[in-house]
Amino acid sequence: MSGLVARLKTRLQQRADLSEVLAEPWATRSPSEMAGRAVYLERDGRVTLGDLFDIEGQSSGRIEFTGELDLADRLGAGLQEGEVLVKGNVGREAGLAMAGGILDIDGDAGPRAGAAPLGYKRGMVGGEMIVRGSAGPESGVAMRRGLLVIGRTAGSQTGRGMIAGTVIILGAAGPDTGLWSKRGSVVALGKITPPETYAYACTYQPIHLRIILERLRSRYRLPIQRKHFTGLYHRYSGDLAELGKGEILAWTRS
Amino acid sequence: MSPLPSDAMTIRGVLIEDTFAEAFTMRVARIVITGHSTRWVRAAALKLTGFATSVIGCKCEAGVERELAASETPDGRPGVSVLFMTASKDDMGKRLIERIGQTVLTCPTTACYDGLPGLPDRVGVGSALRFFGDGFQSSKVVAGERFWRIPVMEGEFLVQEKFGMLKGVAGGNFLILARSADAALAAAEAAADAMASHPGIFLPFPGGVVRSGSKVGSRRIKSMIASTNDAYCPTLRAITKTALPEGVNSVLEIVINGVDSPAIASAMRLGIDAACRDGVVQISAGNYGGKLGPHHFYLRKIMEGAAQ
Repeated sequence: MSGLVARLKTRLQQRADLSEVLAEPWATRSPSEMAGRAVYLERDGRVTLGDLFDIEGQSSGRIEFTGELDLADRLGAGLQEGEVLVKGNVGREAGLAMAGGILDIDGDAGPRAGAAPLGYKRGMVGGEMIVRGSAGPESGVAMRRGLLVIGRTAGSQTGRGMIAGTVIILGAAGPDTGLWSKRGSVVALGKITPPETYAYACTYQPIHLRIILERLRSRYRLPIQRKHFTGLYHRYSGDLAELGKGEILAWTRS
Repeated sequence: MSPLPSDAMTIRGVLIEDTFAEAFTMRVARIVITGHSTRWVRAAALKLTGFATSVIGCKCEAGVERELAASETPDGRPGVSVLFMTASKDDMGKRLIERIGQTVLTCPTTACYDGLPGLPDRVGVGSALRFFGDGFQSSKVVAGERFWRIPVMEGEFLVQEKFGMLKGVAGGNFLILARSADAALAAAEAAADAMASHPGIFLPFPGGVVRSGSKVGSRRIKSMIASTNDAYCPTLRAITKTALPEGVNSVLEIVINGVDSPAIASAMRLGIDAACRDGVVQISAGNYGGKLGPHHFYLRKIMEGAAQ
């Protein structure tokens, strides 16, 4: 692939905070410049990205991370530009409050993917985050704009307190998904139980979903099936304990 | 009839006059309408492009470019591509909001998209129509483009926020001079059929054909922008300065608008070739001496290689 490749040298032995690695501007930075960016280890404190990863390639607004990154937290936090690919799983808070660009995770993401930093009111404000595996609890919390796609199961309280934006879950959605949302859309292609504070509105075919799903199929090669393009969706409005302008669109066989 | 000069261009015995069509620059947008079936797509397109023959009286000119297969549309449903022209940028926004609001928003199952994505010159349409949603509307941004979801009794109407526009060409034309009205009509129908679905163009007049070609201004009323082209009216041959050759008893005009000059020239070649048939005496074109419009379509140059 073109762009940079960052290969984990050895398996992480402690949690690593990568929140500063992709701070803007990173898209035009050389491998050596990227290698100098700070990473904070849970026990050992500040090291550089180059201490943990071999970085090679040419900068082109694209970077690929490979290795066992289950302990790598906040990768892509605040991301504003470019395309970030992760081959494998990532740790907690990936894409935290990201604002632009693409974060494409080949495996699972830990809790709070694309969420708001603790104590902050806004989570994602732009960009597209694709988690091809499962995502942990509280992913997409307080999302304001953008797109979060979860390829398999989504943990509890996914999209809690959404202000706007779109969360699409291809597998089963955890309990309390969409709880306390003001606006925004949760699209569930798998099983979902809307919170009690959502009200069923109708069963229909949202045309805009065809455009979004087509993009997921063509741009990201996600396994969107024809039945999801042409099928009907139950629309639930909520959270009625909040502003109530949000929605859960639940695909239905009927 | 007098014999043709030796250097005359003819196609199947039809004289191609050594003249040109004069056309003008107008703003053009491409509107993609999709729907549940071609029935509803056509219904919306028919209304959207209704009463849009000439900017003089209709404030816009519009027509169907071609029908689109489901695989060609943004939402994977059957669609149609409409080309829509106005005299100015400002007009484009006004006319699209009026017309899409009254004819596509109202039509069951349809959605409406920009068919000229990526152009820097853009006009807000969905951004205005959204207010029909009375605060219940919502939007989604997909790949950087915003789409408005307007709740309607049927479900939702989806319309793109902005539509691209570029400088197009309006008023490409040719005249079919025939021995009889039947012959003129048959030739015009053949020409319109030949140009149907040609990419990048549309024929704004009914069935693609105009019977009432106009000249600039009026001999009698100063305030009139256009009046009948008396030089080509067979009933006036004896009392006006006629342009009709001997034996011509009916003239029909084909007007072609398009996104650019090459598209119009290519369509004119198809149309003129189809119009050269029994009963047609001559193919001519309308111009104003080259002083008004910057786009000149020389018939003989367009038909080079097709002549016999």
